[in-house]
Amino acid sequence: MKLFNIKQTFIIGLFSILLPFYSMADEKTPQHGGTLVVHYSGEQRVLNPALRASTGVYEVSGKVVESLVDLDADSQVVPVLATSWTSSADGKTITFKLREGVKWHDGKPFTSQDVKYNALEFWKKRLNFSTALQLNLTSVDTPDDYTVVFNYSRPMPLDLLLRALVDLGYVVPKHLYEGTDVLNNPYNTAPVGTGPFKFIEYQRGQHIIVERNPDYWRKGYPYLDKIIWRIIDDNSSASAALESGQIDLSSYSKLSLADINRFKQNAKFEVLTKGSQANIFNNTLEFNFRNPIIANLNVRKAIVQSLDIPFFTDDFLYGFGKPATGIIPSSNAFYPKDSKIIYPFDREKAEQLLDEAGYQRKTDGIRFNLKLVHINNGEDVPLFATFIQQSLAEVGINVVIVNLDTAGALNAVYKAHDFDIATGWHQYRGDPAVSTTVWLRSGSPDGAPWTNQYGWKSETVDQLIDNAATEIDPVKRKALYVQLVDIVNRELPLWFATEREFISVVSTKVHNHHNTARWPSSSWFDVWIEH
Amino acid sequence: MLHILTLAFRRLLTTIPALVIILIALFLLLQLAPGDTVDALLAQIGGAESSVIDEMRHHYELDQSTSSRLINYLWRLVHLDLGQSAIYNKPVSHMILERLPATLLLMGCAMLLAFTFGTILGILSAQKVNRWPDTLISILGLIFYSTPSFWLALMGIVVFSIYLNWLPPSGFGSIGESLTGMAAIVDIAWYLILPTTTLALVYLAIYLRIMRASLLEVSTLDFVKTAKAKGLSRRKILVNHILRNAMLPMITLIGLQAGTMLGGSVVIETIFAIPGLGRLAYDSVVQRDLNTLLGVVFVSAILVIIINFIVDMLYAKLDPRITGH
Amino acid sequence: MAILKDYFRSPIARVGTILLLLIIFIALTADWFFPGNPLRLAGRPLQWPFVNPKFILGTDQAGRNIAAQLFHGAKVSLIIGLVSTLIAIIIGVVIGAISGFYSGWIDDILMRLTEAFQILPNFLLLLVGVAVFGSTINIVIIAIGVVSWPPVARLTRAEFLSLRNREFVQAGKTIGMSSTRLMFKEILPNALPPVIMYASVILSTAILMESALAFLNLSDPNISSWGNLVGNGRLVLRQQWYVSAIPGIAILLTVLSASLVGQGINDALNPRLKKR
Repeated sequence: MKLFNIKQTFIIGLFSILLPFYSMADEKTPQHGGTLVVHYSGEQRVLNPALRASTGVYEVSGKVVESLVDLDADSQVVPVLATSWTSSADGKTITFKLREGVKWHDGKPFTSQDVKYNALEFWKKRLNFSTALQLNLTSVDTPDDYTVVFNYSRPMPLDLLLRALVDLGYVVPKHLYEGTDVLNNPYNTAPVGTGPFKFIEYQRGQHIIVERNPDYWRKGYPYLDKIIWRIIDDNSSASAALESGQIDLSSYSKLSLADINRFKQNAKFEVLTKGSQANIFNNTLEFNFRNPIIANLNVRKAIVQSLDIPFFTDDFLYGFGKPATGIIPSSNAFYPKDSKIIYPFDREKAEQLLDEAGYQRKTDGIRFNLKLVHINNGEDVPLFATFIQQSLAEVGINVVIVNLDTAGALNAVYKAHDFDIATGWHQYRGDPAVSTTVWLRSGSPDGAPWTNQYGWKSETVDQLIDNAATEIDPVKRKALYVQLVDIVNRELPLWFATEREFISVVSTKVHNHHNTARWPSSSWFDVWIEH
Repeated sequence: MLHILTLAFRRLLTTIPALVIILIALFLLLQLAPGDTVDALLAQIGGAESSVIDEMRHHYELDQSTSSRLINYLWRLVHLDLGQSAIYNKPVSHMILERLPATLLLMGCAMLLAFTFGTILGILSAQKVNRWPDTLISILGLIFYSTPSFWLALMGIVVFSIYLNWLPPSGFGSIGESLTGMAAIVDIAWYLILPTTTLALVYLAIYLRIMRASLLEVSTLDFVKTAKAKGLSRRKILVNHILRNAMLPMITLIGLQAGTMLGGSVVIETIFAIPGLGRLAYDSVVQRDLNTLLGVVFVSAILVIIINFIVDMLYAKLDPRITGH
Repeated sequence: MAILKDYFRSPIARVGTILLLLIIFIALTADWFFPGNPLRLAGRPLQWPFVNPKFILGTDQAGRNIAAQLFHGAKVSLIIGLVSTLIAIIIGVVIGAISGFYSGWIDDILMRLTEAFQILPNFLLLLVGVAVFGSTINIVIIAIGVVSWPPVARLTRAEFLSLRNREFVQAGKTIGMSSTRLMFKEILPNALPPVIMYASVILSTAILMESALAFLNLSDPNISSWGNLVGNGRLVLRQQWYVSAIPGIAILLTVLSASLVGQGINDALNPRLKKR
């Protein structure tokens, strides 16, 4: 494929001399109007981000409903509906100033009453991941229409709260929810918010449409007239739709990696991981300690050391990913500097460890059998399961893959505990205290997915997790997490094999995209399209 | 007309026991499935605390016993209420009414296409039996029949949507342009060409084979020989005698195929992103949405019964030996 | 013997038989040509065919040798086809035979049951079966068999209905043969030919159904089946189309051979067509 002809190259050269301080994207003046068509897959039962926390919900309702805060390009917390925040010295009282003059899509004013209602009825009671975060929230005061005060019974680290509120701080209108059956409220699938776009319709299995909100509080925004999400579940069909110009954008790695890799060579598209830094995910390996073989640390080490992860990321994942060095992603503020992989790929060492553990190869060359359940978040999960099967066969461990659909797999691992090893994705949510540490904290009841259901318990780790969640000094907090990462890396209660970023493929017609750390979920108020 | 309606109604009544058995069996079968609809939801939203999970289970009535839920379901069914869909958060009947047109259109067009071309090619083939047109048609038919339909679909997208850019690769009508009247019909037809053709090809092969075989068989029967002896023209014999009789097995096949085709549309609807019943059924299995699944089964069963009824009526019309009794 | 002669007279039957024998040969020699596990990591993923002499047909995206999977897959596909066909025929014949032989209320009940199964889209039922009982290869085979029997039952019943009043059956009755003996020793052999002809159809649909399941990622990943290979290959369809094209062609040829053989048997057994 020819990328540039000579004339274009000349013009680009000229521009780069004339405008040395501007990047290509900024040269064009934004155009108002136009429709952005976006790839979407799966059905959402609910489009209310104050009720259900998931990227699938934010992708759409993040344009309609706004959160108190958001992230900028450098993953720093920036104001949205909240304009400033302070914490008391003991960390138990946190005060937010709210933006004035903001209106709901139905014309009613946005006030501190709305935030209070959301905090108590949604964030503390119903929103997944948030109810644990807001466990110690005792009351919310509203001294005036634009001030909210959160009172906690134990210290709440401000940095933790802010980072969490990016995802877990969406506000829906109190006047449409109060006094109704919240779970059956019709606005759950037809959201009303303060965002740059108004919800128009959700045609199940087909599309979701939102339209420009002319009264948006950021004057002059948004640029787009309309956003349409087209629901295409089959990812090769989605690639075809992208190529034929039916859709302009696909984010959160919803295309097959092979197709994404192919789009790199297509001048009409950009392939980026930028703009999704806040949503790092990992290919995981969970162990079931109820099996005495697995409970043996040497066996776990051997399993980990049999897996050539660089080979996997390079040759199976087209280089989209790298080996992880622990449970906190390397781009995050809590990442322990100079983290290293303690148990690198070493097949001989693995064999030796297994021999030492007392599991010699039998006459058929097999040491023991393991049942592997994979929880299918993406196409690479079955692939990684296959890779584990192949790699462990080399050291004499026979792995049988149990192929279940997601509901079945979750049930097998987290309720029936019917597995020896499991693999899936872990998604990092900006702060270890949100979602990551529940994978390690003991005491979670059966049936709660992606929590510690592995039959592993460590007093030290539980203590560390609890202390870090209420430590208001950021430096001390980080130190606690450094300790946690180190223990997990050595003890291997679970193991993160890779560290990966979500990938977006976007048409070059689209501008001002991927300019924040969680762009696909953000409000897209400044996105524009050539038309 | 009234006679037909009573007949139809009586037919429906006799199939009700079968239908109820299916629904109860499926209901019980799905209780054995690992994981429930809340697990599927949790997978979608990436997990939740146990208090949130408990509230969800309560919301979907999963905290009640199997028997009481089954009784509730049947009781609602008596009132023709299919219940509330867990995935879509609205009544199952609405969901099905939304999805039915796409599936009916897809199946209807595919069936029409398969039937028409199957008949034409079958006649051609039978007339030139064992000569090269026959061989060519038969081989093509066999290849269509032997190719996995999803493979044909994917190849169709690659060739006609990507390389040639003639047809849209997926979807069911253009979104965002409010088309009306003729324009809307043309628009949807445009989107339906690829899926209909891929779904039809397999069935075309079957119709073609049956048509050819029955033509050959009928043409050796006595009454055809008599007609020949009477000196009727070839065309007349073909149309009046042979074709009329050869149509019978073809029509029977439509009835038999109705159920299979609905199953086959699961894959086609997924690939082409068509919002039809097949995909709804697949989603509801994966998401353990019992009400929706049973609703789809209920409606598709009634659909199959209706198609079979129409087939029987046609049969009676075509076959002089069968009289309406 | 005469039937065999008739059978081989038709070119269709000859081509079909040769093809089928070739596939059986491939299945039988899989372990000899490609010893060891065909699913093991053999080399770098996604190597094109005819580039690396070690992998004549290339490798898939998990670095598995496609040729090895193709050979071992022949075995799996034939087993899937044969066993599920056998299951479908056994269930269908038993139900159809009882139903056609006894008629009355037994017939009524069994036909209602058959109807119930036929009303359901069978692929949907297969999906439910796999969702409930898991996707191990045994379950997949059984499930395919269980959803495919109703036409066999109807066919058998029709044959029984027309045969049970024939003289040889009546004669058997008068000399006091037991019902089971009459059903399975006397009537069944005469009722079987159309069922056997139909078997090729079930075999074809069984192989196609497994591949459709695999396409939806619901088949057994521990088995080297062609369906799995096609299903995996669809992710790299646009670039490395050969990954799904090769097993796709294998499926096509197998189903084709079964159909050809079926048609050959049909033509050989159908007296009216003999003269042509």
